[in-house]
Amino acid sequence: MAEESATRNEDDIRILAFLCNWCSYAGADLAGVSRLQYPAKVLDVRVMCTGTISPYFVIKAFQEGMDGVLIAGCHIGDCHYLKGNYMTAKRFQVLREALKFLGIEEGRLRLEWVSAAEGEKYAEVIRSFTEEIEKLGPSPLRRKRAEVGA
Amino acid sequence: MSDLKDLVREKLKDGVDAFLCLKDEEGTLLPALITDADSPELELVEAGGARYPMGKILIDLLREYPGKRFAVLVRGCDERALVELSKLEQVDLDRLVMVGLACTAEEARACGCTRPYPSEIALGEKAEAAPGRETIEEVEALSEAERLRWWKEQFSRCIKCYGCRNVCPMCFCKDCALENPHLVEPGVIPPEFPSFHVIRALDMTGRCVDCGLCEEACPADIPLRSLYRKMQEIMEEKLGYRAGESPDEKSPLSFLGSEQDIEKLEREQ
Repeated sequence: MAEESATRNEDDIRILAFLCNWCSYAGADLAGVSRLQYPAKVLDVRVMCTGTISPYFVIKAFQEGMDGVLIAGCHIGDCHYLKGNYMTAKRFQVLREALKFLGIEEGRLRLEWVSAAEGEKYAEVIRSFTEEIEKLGPSPLRRKRAEVGA
Repeated sequence: MSDLKDLVREKLKDGVDAFLCLKDEEGTLLPALITDADSPELELVEAGGARYPMGKILIDLLREYPGKRFAVLVRGCDERALVELSKLEQVDLDRLVMVGLACTAEEARACGCTRPYPSEIALGEKAEAAPGRETIEEVEALSEAERLRWWKEQFSRCIKCYGCRNVCPMCFCKDCALENPHLVEPGVIPPEFPSFHVIRALDMTGRCVDCGLCEEACPADIPLRSLYRKMQEIMEEKLGYRAGESPDEKSPLSFLGSEQDIEKLEREQ
């Protein structure tokens, strides 16, 4: 999905994206097939449903030095498992406020609904999220960067 | 006002198999199970003084003695814990008789309690709630970077004794996330921020009944209670739920819910 690797340096921001298999992963695929341009700062993790994403995963991602975490799934009402994304919507609200209280910029966590037909939206989400994270700079929790690999 | 001794005797005669309360053991108050209405132990039962996670003790008792009925002396926080534990299917309220004890005004103040009395009071006088939000306000007044530094400093004192989890009436999982080597690196003291404490805070969301035993147990004086209390405030503000209050309403984080709820949530965001 991206032209990169050789050129990455330590100050580059890195974003972890959890993409739901049925909508957002297909949306990302469509963005790729459509040859849409977007920044190559995203590492994606394909999950069957955003509802399977435990808040622990997000905490772990920040702990491992990710500068931003994106959760993208089917629109409300379109979940392949009918209601999986309801849980995501609720958890996200709580998690974002918790991060804020702990002093981690809330902008570092984002939730977006991207359908399989929204390749353009996916590219736009990555563009704007990357821009936002670049503005925020590297995460204050980043320390173990060298050990993360990938 | 009736006497605890009489209450214990009365409940035991009423067909309850055992009464869980506190007993003076050579100067130390310890939880004790009284099973006999004529027991000389009755002379040693005490209402006030120490606090223990009665909910946690009852989870084990109810499991160990299926079919038996228990009475228990509850403070406001114990009652909230039992209500929430029943929603989480850890205790069966039909097998429990709660005997309410209102905390004294001094206890309520020292504890910074949001509701220092149970719904039905058998012993003591209802004292005013004295919720302490000073720490939360102090943190909220800081900038983001300062807040992070503040929390990191607090958590850096952690010796990973697991006291907060062990004493918590709402912690009952057999597989604890705090012992998962993928989430909390074994052997690292203090545990690396944000793993240990933030994971616990997230697990307490919609569950913590604000009893404050964690903070009492913490040997490092980490303001855990303020963190968990803030999580409950977030829960109430965002999802309209307060743990331990209404027995018929479950935490929105424990079921999927309806499309209307989610649409409302997204609109308000």
